[in-house]
Amino acid sequence: MTSRLASLRTGSAGALLVRSAVLLAAVIVFVAFSLASSKFATGANLRNIAVEGAGSAVMAVGMTFVIMTAGIDISIGAMLFLSSAAASELFTKGVPAVWIPLLAVLFGLLLGAVNGVTVGYLSMNPLIVTLATLNLYRGVAGHLTKFSTVYLPSQAQALGTSHIGSIPTPIVVATAVALAGIFLLRATVFGRYVQAVGSNAHAARELGLPVRWVLVSVYAISGLTAGLAGLIENGRLGAVQPTVGTGEELTVITAVVLGGASLFGGRGSIVGSLLGVLILEMVADGLVLAHLSPYLFDIIRASVLLAAVLLAMAQGRLQRPLGGARRLRWGVTPG
Amino acid sequence: MRGISIRLTGRKGIAFVLLVAAVATAAAGVSRNAGAARSSAAKGSATVTIGVSFDLLNQIRKAELAGIKQYAATKHVKIIFSVANNDPNQQAQQIQNFISQKVSGIIAIAQNSDQIVSSIRAANRAGIPFASIDRAAGKGGKLVAQVTGNPLADGAKVADYMGSLHKPLNVLLMVGALTDANAIGRRDGFKSEAKRFSNIKIVQELPTNWDPTTALNGVTNALQAHPEINAIFDPSDYLLPAVVSSLKTAGKLALVGSAKHMAIVTIDGDNNGCGALRRKWIDADVATLVGNFGPRAIDAILAAGVTHAPKTKVVEVPGLTLSQQNFATTHSKVWGCAIPANGFK
Repeated sequence: MTSRLASLRTGSAGALLVRSAVLLAAVIVFVAFSLASSKFATGANLRNIAVEGAGSAVMAVGMTFVIMTAGIDISIGAMLFLSSAAASELFTKGVPAVWIPLLAVLFGLLLGAVNGVTVGYLSMNPLIVTLATLNLYRGVAGHLTKFSTVYLPSQAQALGTSHIGSIPTPIVVATAVALAGIFLLRATVFGRYVQAVGSNAHAARELGLPVRWVLVSVYAISGLTAGLAGLIENGRLGAVQPTVGTGEELTVITAVVLGGASLFGGRGSIVGSLLGVLILEMVADGLVLAHLSPYLFDIIRASVLLAAVLLAMAQGRLQRPLGGARRLRWGVTPG
Repeated sequence: MRGISIRLTGRKGIAFVLLVAAVATAAAGVSRNAGAARSSAAKGSATVTIGVSFDLLNQIRKAELAGIKQYAATKHVKIIFSVANNDPNQQAQQIQNFISQKVSGIIAIAQNSDQIVSSIRAANRAGIPFASIDRAAGKGGKLVAQVTGNPLADGAKVADYMGSLHKPLNVLLMVGALTDANAIGRRDGFKSEAKRFSNIKIVQELPTNWDPTTALNGVTNALQAHPEINAIFDPSDYLLPAVVSSLKTAGKLALVGSAKHMAIVTIDGDNNGCGALRRKWIDADVATLVGNFGPRAIDAILAAGVTHAPKTKVVEVPGLTLSQQNFATTHSKVWGCAIPANGFK
């Protein structure tokens, strides 16, 4: 079993190729916007980019696990909103502030676990499940907040606005989550299981791997990261607003796929996902600083993404994963 | 030919009589209701049903909905309400559901001013009067009424107020969604009127897509890239938390009257704006009198049901500038000032 599991691991050469394409794309975007605006490559602006991308980076770590199992989670924006709304309710009810971040994150984990149980134990399509929970969670959050702006007290904004030493807390949190994600994926049996399930869930089940438990876990991780991202984003905003998190799932999924994860499962990289987030944030920031017409923003954004994908294709990034080929040869459908 | 005779005896006979009686009763009931519906539709009483489709639900939309429901109650009009959650396709589907239900009229706030034209045309084909409120619909469909604020005039009022400050202003011009007629109108109204004032200079234009996080990031980046910015045009009170948070982070949030105060003028008049005026974070808020939109739309629909009026009635409700200078005497006229801020202050 160990050798089979090892064979399912994304080859180090393949990961390096993928990461190189994304890294090259990030460098090109950086150079391009540095040339377009003298304010882009300043320390202050780069720090802004890191802070602004922290929430998406945290969620990208969670989404990487999900996509590596050949799943998808489009409810992360809604989980971000609901966990934030729940946290704001706890504040107004007088729950001690020191407990609320932990409770919000655990609540996010629970929301994600609901997705995971439905996907893992009821074998339902993850897109359909998370589409349903997207609407459910957003509806509940809207009910909690009465679709109004809920201002947060200063102690609720700590994760978004404070510093640890001279480093903004969002950057510290995102870094810690990324390191934890890399460790979990690369240095634990769980990480091997994630890759195995994504490569060929049927074969993994035949090997005796706890496929259902793995699926519940990855969606729970996605929910946990959404809860944490909510604390960061709403902490920065100083309020929970009705449209918070809307569209965030597309940004995060784009970043993860851009970073080398295969939608067919079995392949992914936390570092790649973070580079994907970095590219998207640099584009969003650079477009404003370059004083370009707002009507060009979507065109340029899409062009950058397309170029990055083509670059990755040129480096063999979109080859089918080994597990996918096995599925075709054996003619079995992953469970 | 032999005649047909029915012997009404026994259980079969009783059942037959009961069946005939039931059918007769039902037929009488249907004809009575149909007659009542026809006459009540003409009179505008309880059987008139209007489908209301909003693009989203936030503070300002809730005020608009409240205005519609209150007025509908006085006119004995039933309201069916749906929210599209910023999804134009979902809105199209919801309006199609109204059409399928054969409502007496439709009122909509378009999520996408151009995309809603197809829904308007569908209602036109079904003979259902359609009124657009808050946001102007694109051209191509027949409306019985278009009741909106006047975004061009509101944007101009912002420029007028900034011009009246008589000090050099380097303005960060925030823009809403580029598919939103209100956003474009407010921007264009501001830019056009600002040309009259030599003290106003637009340093940076920032699209926000009406998204608080995009606004937060954009304002933060703009303040860092252009330290000379000392004024902000915020096109909606909904984005005020993002503006205030960015200023706090940059150490530039100062109260009105202090030397470091950043001139901020916004539009809408919701409780965010009113609260910010009370806290002296902002200078002025051009309030949109949204409570008037729905009643005018309902009147137009009821009138169209009787007269089949072919011409669109366009009503542009002017905004009201609520400022630090006139707050004491004017805030009672602004709907958002009657709503307390949610959560902590």
